[in-house]
Amino acid sequence: MRSLFSLCLFLLAAVVSAVSTSGNRLLVILDDVADKANYSKFLADLEGRGFQLSFETPKSESLTLFHLGERTYDHVIFFPIKTKGLGPNLTPNILVDFLNAKGNILLAISSGIATPNSLVSLLAELDIQLPADRTGLVVDHFNYDASSAPEKHDVLLLPPPGRLRPDIKDFFGAGAGSNEVLAFSRGVGAVLGTGELLTPILRAPRTAYSYNPKEQAEVVDDLFAAGEQLALVTAFQARNSARLTLLGSAEMLQDTWFDAEVTKPSATGGRKAKTFNREFAKRVSGWTFNEIGVLRVNWIEHRLDEPGNSASNETNPKIYRIKNNVKYTISLSEYAWTNWEPFTLPSDDDALQLEFSMLSPFHRLELTPETARSTPESTAYTVHFRLPDQHGIFNFKVNYKRPFLSNVEEKNTVSVRHMAHDEWPRSFAISGAWPWIAGIGVTVAGWLAFCAVWMYSAPPLTDKGETKKTQ
Amino acid sequence: MRPPQLFAPALLLLAASFAHAAWDFDDGSISVVAKQSGDSIKEKQVALLNPKAPLSKPVSLGSTSTLKLSLTAKDNGKGKRPHQAFLVLQEQESGLKAPFPLTVKENGKAAAQISQKDIPIQLLNAAKPLKASIVLASFGSSEGFNAPVFNVKIEADPAVPLSAYERPLRYGKKPEIHHIFRPDPKSPPKVVSLFFALAVVATLPALFIGWIFLGANLNHLSKAIGAAPLSHATFFGSIVAMEFVFFMYYTSWNLFQTLPVIGAVAVITLLSGTKALGEVQRRRLAGER
Repeated sequence: MRSLFSLCLFLLAAVVSAVSTSGNRLLVILDDVADKANYSKFLADLEGRGFQLSFETPKSESLTLFHLGERTYDHVIFFPIKTKGLGPNLTPNILVDFLNAKGNILLAISSGIATPNSLVSLLAELDIQLPADRTGLVVDHFNYDASSAPEKHDVLLLPPPGRLRPDIKDFFGAGAGSNEVLAFSRGVGAVLGTGELLTPILRAPRTAYSYNPKEQAEVVDDLFAAGEQLALVTAFQARNSARLTLLGSAEMLQDTWFDAEVTKPSATGGRKAKTFNREFAKRVSGWTFNEIGVLRVNWIEHRLDEPGNSASNETNPKIYRIKNNVKYTISLSEYAWTNWEPFTLPSDDDALQLEFSMLSPFHRLELTPETARSTPESTAYTVHFRLPDQHGIFNFKVNYKRPFLSNVEEKNTVSVRHMAHDEWPRSFAISGAWPWIAGIGVTVAGWLAFCAVWMYSAPPLTDKGETKKTQ
Repeated sequence: MRPPQLFAPALLLLAASFAHAAWDFDDGSISVVAKQSGDSIKEKQVALLNPKAPLSKPVSLGSTSTLKLSLTAKDNGKGKRPHQAFLVLQEQESGLKAPFPLTVKENGKAAAQISQKDIPIQLLNAAKPLKASIVLASFGSSEGFNAPVFNVKIEADPAVPLSAYERPLRYGKKPEIHHIFRPDPKSPPKVVSLFFALAVVATLPALFIGWIFLGANLNHLSKAIGAAPLSHATFFGSIVAMEFVFFMYYTSWNLFQTLPVIGAVAVITLLSGTKALGEVQRRRLAGER
């Protein structure tokens, strides 16, 4: 009975923790715990997806991200905090350590509240630059909400983001209705470095710009950034697949902007529209907390693929010979909110590639799906190829790194030996060797004939009928 | 009840004119000032800007010249300072943009100066002329102005090499690589090999004919067999067997299969050879050879 109970408990725990692929302990850091009322719908959505929320303020003594070297939380959300520093428990170093330990961070900042130094330094470490003086306001005089900001133009209406590049999956804006817009309210825009780990989720419209409302209220003399250079929502994915998302407008997540009604400015029709914020907030938080865009390698198999070679059924052998035909298969799954699904490439422009490399790749080949070995929750990708004519220590390497997808870097090392002496073609199969083989045959026959003649030859008869030898 | 009804059309009219309030500009002009060798400043290429339609001919901007833009921003016909007054250069192929804020005075007079060193390198290397738009907008309900007004063609200085722009790394598909195998070893044409193989084989009959011509024969075979039948048969047979062992080594055996057989055959050769060759010696001593 007791074991049955514990089994049920275990199953229940498994179901609850199935929400995210990397745990459900979520720390919410607020300036004042009472502020959470503003974000009640967003936080309720998170709880509904199975996260265990803990609320703390930066002043709290008990707040610690690590205990005995282990993470105490899997994910952290920062809402805007008024204090300048975050105290000794949330230094930029600790936050970087948290990312290094595969923790995920969702950072929501706001224009009205200067971003704490600790977070500015953390972002600078990731090559994300915020406006000087830790404050800035993004306005757009062409795309604003005419009902809530007819004067100040600081509530931007943006179409939900589409595909960033043709070969990248659209995680954040897919399925949005034509009359749904994102309301980006009193937010901060950031400028991103050129690193490959940074990806903008949402860019500012072409006519938007960022200014300092305190000093540049009259005239913009020194422009921080404008147009699509401004990233309003930014994704950072480290090499260990830890994720950090910078959300320029914390107000986006507030209840007032969830399912709200907004008005486009009269120049663009003045039509009413619904906000897409709730679904967008779900997707951004889901991406950050490893609920979508997570790849898993189920198994990898490589084997000899020679015709008619039944003895070579060994999987994943340690050694191959040069010029062997080889088959490589990798099985991949992608996590989508609640379950693992077969991974499919985002588009035809993308490719899953296998490198066969020693120092540098000798082959880089596209893998294609193999339906026979795919299952309802995984896709097997396979490729047949011929090993290069170079012996040495080689790697089968799948290095699939794409924006918004967790990194796949798989390396299997094998030796490739050269030909053994009895694996070359026989000399009689080589036409150039025929004169030499004939020479050996002639020598053998000549030797046998010589032996016979030497032993059994009678002295030749002379003309007189006598033997020559008798002198 | 009457007066408000009378007012209504007037209010509507007012609202309509208010809704149509829009930013615009006047007195727009661009000039390119080229600095020639020395100090002589030469002004050329002056063009007036039309807010309704872009200039048809692109303005060319040399490496030492400066593009000067001046205009008067107007809100609903009156000169006024907008909060946003940008000149935006856009590369036509990639869509990359570079904004340049104009310095605007209280009365709406705005100016900007751009030379090549202000323009980002991605735009400098553009093949097509850059599209220049002017954006004028501000807070409140006035509709902003955003329209292309002219094109700029960047004239590269032939003396200065173009600084190459290296695209930043982006995760994505990489080009495929297929290993290029070394060429297989080649044989001469089969006819040639066959001809020389036959030439080699032909030496054997030539050798036999030569021997026969010199008087070689096998006439003592019966005599030798008669004198020592077992040892002669074994000795000659073992020589043939040795050649057979070598043939087997060539076709299928390995060295460890071959060596014991060679040893056995060699012992037989040695034992039978002493007898057989003794018989040959006896024939020689008898004067029969």
